[in-house]
Amino acid sequence: MKLSRRCFLSFSIGGAVGTALSPLPWKLTDDLSIWSQNWPWTPVPPDGESTYVDSTCMLCPGHCGIRVRKIDQRAVKIEGQENTVLNPGGGVCLLGLSGLQLLYSPTRVKGPLRKIKDDKGLPKWESISWSLAIEEVAKQLMDLRAQGRSHTVASLVGQEDGTVPQLLKRLIKAYGSPHFYHMPSVEDTQGAVLSLSQGIDGFVGLDVENADYILSFGSALLDGFGSPLRMMRAINRLKEQKGTLVQIEPRLSNTAAKADLWLAAKPGTEADLALGMAHVLINQRRFNEDFIYNHTEGFELFAVMVRNSYTPEAVAVTTGIDAATITQTALAFAAAKRPLAIFGHGKGQAPGSMREAAAVNALNALVGNINRPGGLHAMPAYDYIDWPAPFLDGIAYAGFNAKRVDGSGTPSVHRFFEAVDAAPEKLQLLMIAEANPSYSLTGCGKIKQAIKKIPFVVSFSSFMDETAMQADLILPNHLYLERWEDIPMRAGAVRQTVGLCRPVVAPQQNTQHLGDTVIQIAKALKGTVAQSFPWDNYYACLKQTMGNQWQDMNAKGAWEKEPAVVSPEPGFKTESGKLVMMNEPLKKILGAIVPAPEGDEKKFPLQLVAYDSIRLSSGYIGNPPFMNKVLPDTVLKGNEGFVELNPETAGKLGLAEGQSAILTTPHGQVKVRVHLNHGIMPGLLAMARGLGHTAYDGYLSGKGVNTNELIGPVEDPASGLDAAWGIQAILAKA
Amino acid sequence: MKQTQIHNEQPPRRYGMAIDVDKCTGCGSCMVACFSENNVPFKQDETDKLLSITWMRVYQLTNGKTFPHTEVAYLPRPCQHCAGQHEGHSPCVSVCPATATDYSADTGIVSQIYTRCFGCRYCMGACPYHARYFNWWDPVWPDGMEKYLSPNVSPRMRGVVEKCSFCFHRYQMARDKAYTEGGRKVQEAEYQTACAQACPAGAIVFGDLNDPSHAVNQIVKPDAHNHYKSGNPRAFRLLERLGTNTKVYYLSSREWVRRSGDNYRADEQPGMPGAAAQHG
Amino acid sequence: MDSALIPEGVKRCALWKFLLGLAVVGGVLVWGIIAMLLCWIKGLNQTNMNDYYGFALWIWADLAVIALGGGAFFSGLLKYVFGKDDLKNIINYAVLIGFICYSSALLILAIDVGQPLRSWFIFWHANVHSMLTEVAFCLSCYFAVLTIEYIPLILENRQIDKVPFFHNLGHNMHSTMAIFAATGAFLSFFHQGSLGGVAGVLFGRPFAYRESILNTIWPYTFFLFTWSAAAYGPSFTLFITWLTEKITRKKLVKNNTIYLLAKISGWMILTYIIAKSADTLYWVYQTAPAKGFNWDFFFQNNALYGKWILFVEIIVCGFVPGLLLVFKSSRENSFLRVAATFLGIIGVSLNRWVMVLQTMAAPVMPFDTWQLYIPSWQEVATTILPVAYGVILIMISYRYLPIFPQERELNPVEGADPDHAHAAAPHIGHEATVA
Ligand SMILES: Nc1nc2c(c(=O)[nH]1)N[C@H]1C(S)=C(S)[C@@H](COP(=O)(O)OP(=O)(O)OC[C@H]3O[C@@H](n4cnc5c(=O)[nH]c(N)nc54)[C@H](O)[C@@H]3O)O[C@H]1N2
Ligand SMILES: Nc1nc2c(c(=O)[nH]1)N[C@H]1C(S)=C(S)[C@@H](COP(=O)(O)OP(=O)(O)OC[C@H]3O[C@@H](n4cnc5c(=O)[nH]c(N)nc54)[C@H](O)[C@@H]3O)O[C@H]1N2
Ligand code: SF4
Ligand code: SF4
Ligand code: SF4
Ligand code: SF4
Ligand code: SF4
Ligand SMILES: [Mo]
Repeated sequence: MKLSRRCFLSFSIGGAVGTALSPLPWKLTDDLSIWSQNWPWTPVPPDGESTYVDSTCMLCPGHCGIRVRKIDQRAVKIEGQENTVLNPGGGVCLLGLSGLQLLYSPTRVKGPLRKIKDDKGLPKWESISWSLAIEEVAKQLMDLRAQGRSHTVASLVGQEDGTVPQLLKRLIKAYGSPHFYHMPSVEDTQGAVLSLSQGIDGFVGLDVENADYILSFGSALLDGFGSPLRMMRAINRLKEQKGTLVQIEPRLSNTAAKADLWLAAKPGTEADLALGMAHVLINQRRFNEDFIYNHTEGFELFAVMVRNSYTPEAVAVTTGIDAATITQTALAFAAAKRPLAIFGHGKGQAPGSMREAAAVNALNALVGNINRPGGLHAMPAYDYIDWPAPFLDGIAYAGFNAKRVDGSGTPSVHRFFEAVDAAPEKLQLLMIAEANPSYSLTGCGKIKQAIKKIPFVVSFSSFMDETAMQADLILPNHLYLERWEDIPMRAGAVRQTVGLCRPVVAPQQNTQHLGDTVIQIAKALKGTVAQSFPWDNYYACLKQTMGNQWQDMNAKGAWEKEPAVVSPEPGFKTESGKLVMMNEPLKKILGAIVPAPEGDEKKFPLQLVAYDSIRLSSGYIGNPPFMNKVLPDTVLKGNEGFVELNPETAGKLGLAEGQSAILTTPHGQVKVRVHLNHGIMPGLLAMARGLGHTAYDGYLSGKGVNTNELIGPVEDPASGLDAAWGIQAILAKA
Repeated sequence: MKQTQIHNEQPPRRYGMAIDVDKCTGCGSCMVACFSENNVPFKQDETDKLLSITWMRVYQLTNGKTFPHTEVAYLPRPCQHCAGQHEGHSPCVSVCPATATDYSADTGIVSQIYTRCFGCRYCMGACPYHARYFNWWDPVWPDGMEKYLSPNVSPRMRGVVEKCSFCFHRYQMARDKAYTEGGRKVQEAEYQTACAQACPAGAIVFGDLNDPSHAVNQIVKPDAHNHYKSGNPRAFRLLERLGTNTKVYYLSSREWVRRSGDNYRADEQPGMPGAAAQHG
Repeated sequence: MDSALIPEGVKRCALWKFLLGLAVVGGVLVWGIIAMLLCWIKGLNQTNMNDYYGFALWIWADLAVIALGGGAFFSGLLKYVFGKDDLKNIINYAVLIGFICYSSALLILAIDVGQPLRSWFIFWHANVHSMLTEVAFCLSCYFAVLTIEYIPLILENRQIDKVPFFHNLGHNMHSTMAIFAATGAFLSFFHQGSLGGVAGVLFGRPFAYRESILNTIWPYTFFLFTWSAAAYGPSFTLFITWLTEKITRKKLVKNNTIYLLAKISGWMILTYIIAKSADTLYWVYQTAPAKGFNWDFFFQNNALYGKWILFVEIIVCGFVPGLLLVFKSSRENSFLRVAATFLGIIGVSLNRWVMVLQTMAAPVMPFDTWQLYIPSWQEVATTILPVAYGVILIMISYRYLPIFPQERELNPVEGADPDHAHAAAPHIGHEATVA
């Protein structure tokens, strides 16, 4: 049949009309929209039974009580516990909230890994079994022991409190080495001053809840200092009750923004400011006479020193704060009922200057607010871990009493790594737990270099962080949401409290509890080392250690020690029973020359400081994606980090908002963008701490600049710890 | 717009917030609480804030003065759940052609139905608070991270708009519980938003603006006869002059902060805005 | 080769030239299609739109082409309803341009939405309070009307017309055209208006917001948009006609028709711009200040938006073309007339630009900042796509359909048989009898 044009046209039109009138197109249209509502690549979270598990957050020293919501076996949300001794006000910070992004992160270490060389001789990771991994560590340790070189083994932990770090410390001692280190923090300096002035070996408690006048020497009270949530609530309570917050720092931080008075003293002159205020109190006899005359020693010496050298006029020149303001602030401080001066810059991740700590301590002493409500409390060290001393054989004894590579005095991580860098043969094996020194120590470039020289590095990290990348063997620990652990609270706590971290979900990867790993290593080492570890496993050790407290602690999620009966006597443990205002060591500390920031002022006319933000986790924990998401675009834009400076400074340098620039310090050179901020002292540059990771994945790696690569440590003349507050720098148009 | 029935036994609820700007520390926990509660997606690069989904966004305000007289304050901005000049005439709800966003007369909550939204983005243009966000990309969770997704809030697909819901699913759960327990009222503590609950500074107070027993009512003291204007001299609402009649109130004792909440002509005295504009 | 398809009695360029032209424009079309597919397959992340710029370049293009396509409804209204019979000589082209503009607008909308497969929800779950719902309904209906108006033109193709069924269909459609034209005019009135309403109802956007007349749901922009489309649409028809004449190097429409439409356009522009000025003044003195703004806040002379916009839109592209077209001497001066229509096109496009993009760019919260956006190549390509498509449709229609009834008369082809030509004349006569 020949199809005529007419026939064809009628057929097509008829067909089109017919199809349109049939249900087919309508059904298809509907199906397509339903498909678009159920795209298979958009996840559908499975539903299930909803339960809550209480635990303790371990992502920062705050150790808040958390409640984790679960759907069947999945943890879906972290919330703050409402009524817990850990954080009585409830709430949870953004890092705590992001915990599940760490738990389920693809960059977690999936199981024990050994670094081997591939065909081309390049390093690569090989998965091994746990028994092989333990065997491998034990073999390395036994070899060194056999060579009589047990003292060339070291361990570095995030902090020393609690059964897990203590097990590692015990291992190091029983094995035979003096090299047990923790990451430095402001608590080291606070503790040193506490010991000098009160003879107490413990930590500083800050009764911020009851203070009515807080003089903060650069502490980021609202940006993560100490126990971040507790500080935030305390400051809000202070404001509600019309108390006063004075913030001393050169940049308008969030704390300064909330302060009643912001004193932008030149950085590095905080000790002078404190001593200037002490001068006012002494000169105008506005100190607490009862306390000073009855409970302190060395006051006269102290008074002579501040009278001679720290007149408000002189201090005004040093600090840039005018004499009248210094005087008024000092008098207001003294007039308050419960004044409290706080030492420790930023979040307190660096030890800081002993001189400043001593000066701030003196201010608290002058107003007599020591071991009293709203004041500074001397907290004795935790003593609930009362294990018998480890067994030491001859090797262990000799090794433990060998001279530390960083010399005598306070163990200093920086000095330790410097010594290792200079004489690598002195260190054969390093074990690192819950710390990322290659990233988070000032001058981390040099630290990295030193670690590279260590023949065998064992990491217990659950993350592929910068230090884990350098390890030869990784024995990944469970994440805090997968494990049991006791968590003694420090961070300014005024009551001894031990939080309980408990597994919320089953381990997501082939990880093992660090406590168990340590016990297994000890057992593999046999002899006295094995004998020193009588526990079958970590859980048994923890239960036994907590003893009678265990039941209560398990039920409440924390164990709170009964507060000591308040006695009228402050109870100082010095020889005289009095608080030392001044003696030889303190005189030396207070009279010390302030360590100047590194760098030649002529070559590097500006000063760079690192600042802390609660939106950036800058320690062992890398910033989770949620936290990066809330970073302002004036801190990070694309992969470029910002340096903040005053528009006046920028004007002189010919720099405009957002412009690219080259920042140089004696430690290195980076490309940055500039952010103009009226809230920063002219001449100063500031950069956020916590960016510039080189490890992890695309959500964190390569973003911004790590300030620790630009700022090196400066050794405190008294403590030997890092007292750097900044560095000389130069900024130029890119 | 769909007419939602008013609950027979009880007066209509009017959920709202009071956010104390003087307490807010700008920590951003509310933002992250919201992300984790509501399955908000994230990308490797979130630094372009015009492409970053943040149902709650904390803005930094500054008094504009030079060193050392500079002051800053932080202003958290969830969806304001605008009621408009007559109940339900929210800027966004009134314009959505597909009724994919709706005003509940029962709770005062402005909802968003992701599977109905077809992504015309008219509502985004209408919202002066930039509280609405578009899914420019398919949401992608790094391998394994989809495990933490909550089943209570559907992850959104590409091409639709999303925004703060006052954690509506929490209301649903609380309401269902109250219903099974004899149809009693939902208690103040039973329905709290994730952001309010997380805020470490206690800056966000959430509850029923119509219920005198709720803290938010006591703080805000809303005047139901005058578009719920607050009777608290510390309180202000964002862009009140536009007539959006929002349910998020801000508190500050600082004049410059309060003034940052609205626009004022050069010749206007502080604190004397003109009457809210009328419109159809 | 294709001479059998070409209307009788007119001269068309060689087929190879035609195909070459098609290929060139087709290249642009393909570029646009690639961009369109990218937007559909990969999503709107292909654009530089963002959460501040939910409406951007192509929504402006959408509004602009609809305004420019206004020539169709307005000349239809004038011819069929008001009996301006002279316009029959340009109405076909006006309809074709309108058809192109409206189909482009619909295509752009289909690319613009995030979930095109669900775009029918706008009908199914319609929110009658939304201006966009009104736009969608009226736009679709009016597009159907334009299609109905365009079909008879297609049926007039020499070969199709030979089929008696189509011949009769075309004839009958012509005789009902007045009804469609009137319906179209009515629909257009509403969707042009509701497009204006889209911006005008945004009470959260003080730059765009306009009060409504007598407290109805329609803000002033509703009426201004309809008015401006009626005013500038015919200018666009005239300009495209002029352009077509230049390209084909033929006179296609007699001057009396051109002058008539130009005159009407001129008066419409002039009256519109007076209303627009009044509206602007009201906004400057009443609307903006009530919301806490000094008017000049919105014209800060940043990289894109300055006071110059008001001057260009109202004076240069408003009063100037309006007056040029109103006065006989300038209207009948070919250069001035074409210049005036061109300025008019710029003016109405600028108006739509401002109502869309400046609205989005200006901050409303005091702590927000201006946002200026630059479209991505995908957006530019997708925006140019309808232009290429329009050119192609005009090329094909002009070549194969008797668009210009006066073409033969104005351009006699040597050797053609005038009687034969008459027999095959288009059915304009039928329309005339109806009107
Ligand atoms: N307790 C209680 N029960 C109710 C109601 C109530 O208010 N309370 N309301 C009733 C009403 S009105 C309704 S409509 C129903 C709704 O009940 P459901 O249909 O169960 O609605 P949802 O629980 O919101 O979503 C269902 C699931 O769809 C997933 N989902 C989200 N987006 C997609 C997608 O694109 N594709 C696929 N495949 N899955 C997706 C979600 O993650 C969720 O797990 O519940 C009814 N039942
Ligand atoms: N954020 C968010 N928003 C959503 C949704 C979501 O999942 N999340 N879901 C969407 C969906 S699917 C839906 S269906 C809607 C539901 O939204 P709504 O329709 O607002 O549903 P309800 O809140 O259940 O309100 C129904 C009202 O009817 C009353 N009622 C109950 N029984 C009767 C009766 O017999 N007679 C009368 N007159 N009234 C009665 C109830 O008391 C209640 O006040 O919400 C939509 N909005
Ligand atoms: S403050 Fe520290 S302990 Fe508390 S939730 Fe945040 S990260 Fe966890
Ligand atoms: S969580 Fe609270 S304090 Fe932190 S930014 Fe949000 S509202 Fe402010
Ligand atoms: S804040 Fe924006 S999104 Fe929320 S109700 Fe108001 S207009 Fe709608
Ligand atoms: S984007 Fe979605 S919610 Fe917004 S107006 Fe369009 S359809 Fe409605
Ligand atoms: S109320 Fe809920 S949805 Fe809204 S910002 Fe707060 S957490 Fe997010
Ligand atoms: Mo529903």
